[in-house]
Amino acid sequence: MAIDNRKPPPDLLASRSGTGRQATGDDDVLRLDDLHVSVHGGAATAVRGVSLRIRPGEIVGLVGESGSGKTLTCRAALGVLPDGCAVERGTVSFAGLDVTSLSRRGWERLHGSHMGAVFQDPASYLNPVLTVGGQLAEVLRVKLRMTRREARRRALELFEAVGLRQPERVYDQIPAELSGGMLQRVMIAIAISCDPQLLVADEPTTALDVTIQAEVLELLRQLRDERGLAILFVSHDLAVITALCDRIVVFYAGEVVEAGPTGEIAQRPRHPYTQALLRVASVGDFRRRGLEVIAGQPPRVGADITGCRFAPRCPLAVPECAAGPIRSVLAGDQHEVRCVHAARAVTAS
Amino acid sequence: MTSVPATPAGAPPLLAVESVDVTLGRGWRANQVLSGVDLGIWPGEIVGLVGETGSGKTTLARTVVGLVNPTRGRIVFEGQPISALRRGARRAERRRGHVQLVFQDPLQSLDPDLTVAEIVAEGLRIRGETDGEQIRRRVTAALAKVGLDATVLERTPGQISGGQRQRVSIARALAVEPRLLICDEPVSALDASSRNHILRLLRELRDSLGLPIVVISHDLSSLAGIADRVVVLYRGRIVEDGPVDRVFATPRHPYTALLMASAPTVRDDRPFSAHQLRHGNPGPVPQASPDACVFAARCPFAAGICAAQPSLTPVGERWSVSCHRHEEWGALAQSATDQEGPAHAR
Repeated sequence: MAIDNRKPPPDLLASRSGTGRQATGDDDVLRLDDLHVSVHGGAATAVRGVSLRIRPGEIVGLVGESGSGKTLTCRAALGVLPDGCAVERGTVSFAGLDVTSLSRRGWERLHGSHMGAVFQDPASYLNPVLTVGGQLAEVLRVKLRMTRREARRRALELFEAVGLRQPERVYDQIPAELSGGMLQRVMIAIAISCDPQLLVADEPTTALDVTIQAEVLELLRQLRDERGLAILFVSHDLAVITALCDRIVVFYAGEVVEAGPTGEIAQRPRHPYTQALLRVASVGDFRRRGLEVIAGQPPRVGADITGCRFAPRCPLAVPECAAGPIRSVLAGDQHEVRCVHAARAVTAS
Repeated sequence: MTSVPATPAGAPPLLAVESVDVTLGRGWRANQVLSGVDLGIWPGEIVGLVGETGSGKTTLARTVVGLVNPTRGRIVFEGQPISALRRGARRAERRRGHVQLVFQDPLQSLDPDLTVAEIVAEGLRIRGETDGEQIRRRVTAALAKVGLDATVLERTPGQISGGQRQRVSIARALAVEPRLLICDEPVSALDASSRNHILRLLRELRDSLGLPIVVISHDLSSLAGIADRVVVLYRGRIVEDGPVDRVFATPRHPYTALLMASAPTVRDDRPFSAHQLRHGNPGPVPQASPDACVFAARCPFAAGICAAQPSLTPVGERWSVSCHRHEEWGALAQSATDQEGPAHAR
């Protein structure tokens, strides 16, 4: 591939972005500490105390039902919370810099050149009347100050890098002329065009056919391998997450209930909610089996619940679950669980 | 678990689709969406219809319910060729509602201004029922069948959850007591738990009412739990049609195998990997010639013989496949593993 794969060293960021902040020295690309996000202008808290970190070259998957706060979390990480939503408490750090209260201009400097994003519906993020090549070249000209000619050449290289055949032809096409899978590849090309350290992908394959989904997942893995790109991947489908990610973070009603390496989570899930998710997701294999469901409904967004938020739906619930806030405990190597049963097992051992 | 319902050999199907071609659009815009589709649906079975975007799944469903006219071939329902009906006779047949279609996106297909009670009653009113008391009773009964109680009656589609909306669309179809239910992507918009709820519901409806159901899906794995038979469409042609257990154990068409290999799973127990089944170059592939096998351009096992479209040939009991090389490609795929390695999308 003709593209420059070298990553700028982490300390270069401060000078490149010109924020002038002190780097704290750890090598996490993204770090969230005790993040709380309020919605409806502060009337309710939809994300409560989420902490997670992503290292360079790592693919971290956020999984949970709709309304569990996974999308808000990654929007907070990108600094693009919708109107009425705000970071209430906690910090977002990018490459060691606290960016929680960064100005709009500050975020704009980070977007594209340091973090890229792809979303579920690529067509709605592209201008329908401009060629996709022109839109990618525009990003390069604005962000990297390239000339028209340089931008065009680089755009063609990027299209090739994301697996678009006949890049010259695709360059002059408008979004309506491309299929969903090709549009998502275009979005990925735009997201990685300025060589970011972090790619946030929010349900990027949900609207695609399974065959195309498999190809896009492979492309993401390849970009990670070749560029050391860190990826924050969000999906409601645990099967997709397991297939792609190095680490899994399970969300339930605005909280992280379990987090750990993919193998640990898939083989030894400790939280009853993760166990239930794995049971319902395993329709993904082709044996005939019972169609399991998780009884009940998740709580309303922002509902005030003391203790475990999953307890009302949990088959293993005991009175202790509702007694007070549940602490997150370490149940194995980097394997965190927020469940009284896991806490008991850890204390006993 | 459910079993494949015993179908007496030679029993006529409830619904027969006979060599149907469908062309949508006219003149230079004409686009042949279905080509030579032959399909039978027998009483009490759940048939999964699978294919990717643009394969003609939805058009086939619309043709069966009479929303689209076949350009060739015919649709026979309970011995009556319904595709030949015209004008008044066609409308009368549609009003009877023997074949009900549950549309893809309930948020778009349900009128946002109507209450659930009005939506479910609509089919009954179209059929000409006027007795308000009886309509109310049937609406409640239909909602009970899908596991919804009277509390949703006065709500509008915007006020209920996605899973409930899907249940309302199914109740709307059930209210007129159909003989055949066709569900277009009933679960694609739902998360895993709600998806299993709906699939379970469909299976229960088949078990309790003996209702044959066609489930259209782009996701083969969501059919594993409920379908008795699976029909795979590719670019408007049926490429494989057989009992679900046997097809999933040993797919006989490379496209079926590719669909299976592409589905992400928590546990990997599939006969092939996607690399073994994918053509070196991803993306849209130009069609070689109009007579060639529809899958040839994407098929890594295509050979000279594939320049002619294969016909659907039986390979087992109630199992047929349309591939010239259905006996050879499996071995070729296995041997291709080592030399190719992970072929990155490029």
